[in-house]
Amino acid sequence: MVNVEGYEVPEGLYFSKDFEWVKIEGTKVRIGITDYAQKSLREIVYAELPSVGSEVKQNEPYGTVESVKAVSDLIAPLSGTIEEVNSEVSSKPELLNEDPFTKGWLLVVKPINLQAELSNLMDFNTAVEWHKTQAK
Amino acid sequence: MARRIIVVGANAAGVEAASAARKKDRSAEITLLTQEKIAGYSRCGLPFVIGGQIPDFKNLIVYPQAYFQMLKLNLKTETKVTAIDIKTKSVTCVDNTGSILTLPYDSLIIATGADAFMPPIKGREKSGIFSLRTIEDGERILQAVQNGAKSAVIMGAGLIGLETGAALIERGLKVTIVEMLPQILPQMLDADMAKLVQEHLQERGMVILTGKTVEEFLGEGKVTAIVAAGEKIEADMFISAFGVRANTKLAMDAGIPLGESRAIKTNSRMETEVKDVYAVGDCAEAPNLITHKSVCPQLGTIAVREGKVAGANAAGDYSQFTGVLASAVTRLFNIEAGVTGLTENSAARNRIEVVTGAITSKTKADYYPSAKPVRVKLVVEKESQRIIGGQVVGGEEVTQRINALSFAIQKQMTVRDLAKADTAYAPPLNETWDPLVLAAEMVLMRLR
Repeated sequence: MVNVEGYEVPEGLYFSKDFEWVKIEGTKVRIGITDYAQKSLREIVYAELPSVGSEVKQNEPYGTVESVKAVSDLIAPLSGTIEEVNSEVSSKPELLNEDPFTKGWLLVVKPINLQAELSNLMDFNTAVEWHKTQAK
Repeated sequence: MARRIIVVGANAAGVEAASAARKKDRSAEITLLTQEKIAGYSRCGLPFVIGGQIPDFKNLIVYPQAYFQMLKLNLKTETKVTAIDIKTKSVTCVDNTGSILTLPYDSLIIATGADAFMPPIKGREKSGIFSLRTIEDGERILQAVQNGAKSAVIMGAGLIGLETGAALIERGLKVTIVEMLPQILPQMLDADMAKLVQEHLQERGMVILTGKTVEEFLGEGKVTAIVAAGEKIEADMFISAFGVRANTKLAMDAGIPLGESRAIKTNSRMETEVKDVYAVGDCAEAPNLITHKSVCPQLGTIAVREGKVAGANAAGDYSQFTGVLASAVTRLFNIEAGVTGLTENSAARNRIEVVTGAITSKTKADYYPSAKPVRVKLVVEKESQRIIGGQVVGGEEVTQRINALSFAIQKQMTVRDLAKADTAYAPPLNETWDPLVLAAEMVLMRLR
């Protein structure tokens, strides 16, 4: 885990420019929002998530998160079928602020085009550099 | 087709308006246009970067790039709006490459802010006069300090002037404040309360000259001295803090009327006289809750509240702005000062007859070590006995007392109600009788 201008960027994940992270877990991927995203939105009070079995498509919205002042679409970093949804986040959206990379995960997805789509995401080193330019 | 909302200005009022619009309308095309390089930062924090309490101007950015992207707000920085056409409903702007763009809107929000005001003083065209409105202004002042400036003259004893003066003393400069009126903080406090602040500032080494008008800037090309009330004052740097004026040129050129305060006239939905055009923040006026006159208090708190209302309305929602008490606080070294509603002075100007009460108490039990003095002044309308204003000056705990008084005024509480208020106490935290209650009792005695 490195800290870039006050934003945490953990090793071993892939990142999208829509502020989401992807963790590869065997044949599945776990996704969520980044520390930079949650800090930009401030205290998140509402999360609207899709249901298990529905499809997500890379770069398309799959849900929303809302803070007192802001509302944002969640943009899928990869395409696939949703196998798990973190229902705890719906009842305790503050998990997204407290622990965006572990307890605040959003979906587990079975990806359909993982290798090709991963090339559209940033690896750790690229993400660190990208966070630096964002925080400038 | 998606609703097109354009916001001119991207600081407190503008970003708040855009965010509120997005909350209501998830598909609208929302565009923010700003001349500045950096958007969404806190102007109010500028003096505290100069003073060193905040490490970097970068820390003042409240809304990072991700915020605009996540809310799908199309932010165009270094883009100057040159005209608004209310007939075709479009704005014309020039971006940093010199390209001219014409952007159509369904709703327009004007949040053009205010600019530092310079009176017509002889020699004002000379270089080397600083002001403090933008991050770039702040960087220039800090640069001058780092280049070895040892002394500064600040013209104007309002909030910006004094906060900047305190900051420069923190940096080791010798600071002289020149104020035309006979007291410091003339917009904010009555003279009796301002005196307490002035004494504290003088103890910290600030030289304060009140009742002195700046008559001339001296120097060959670059200012090296001023003349105030016939006296020549030399310094290494000069900061203009005469106040700010609403930036209304774009609106006026477009035929959008101004109001009695010379800021853009608005209704309770923050809509101007022109349909679908809203105005918010330092360029817009709103009614004072007590006098019902239109005012332009130019405070960040008012800017965001107005922005929220206009943004909702611009996106098809319905929201009203209740009006202003112009509650404000500041901290200068170890003294805090705050105001809400009318001062005794402003009540007199509005021909409102008042009874006042002012008492000095402590911020903790009198016997508790480190208890600090706090003075409360209440301004009460004579006939209705309603509280219409309050000022607090003290070593700590000022803000929440101002807030309590603000709630009391907004709910039209009488001084009799306040004298019966059920306040909290513990020796390390407060007196058994809160100073607000004691001040209310004092007013009641004067009303007998």
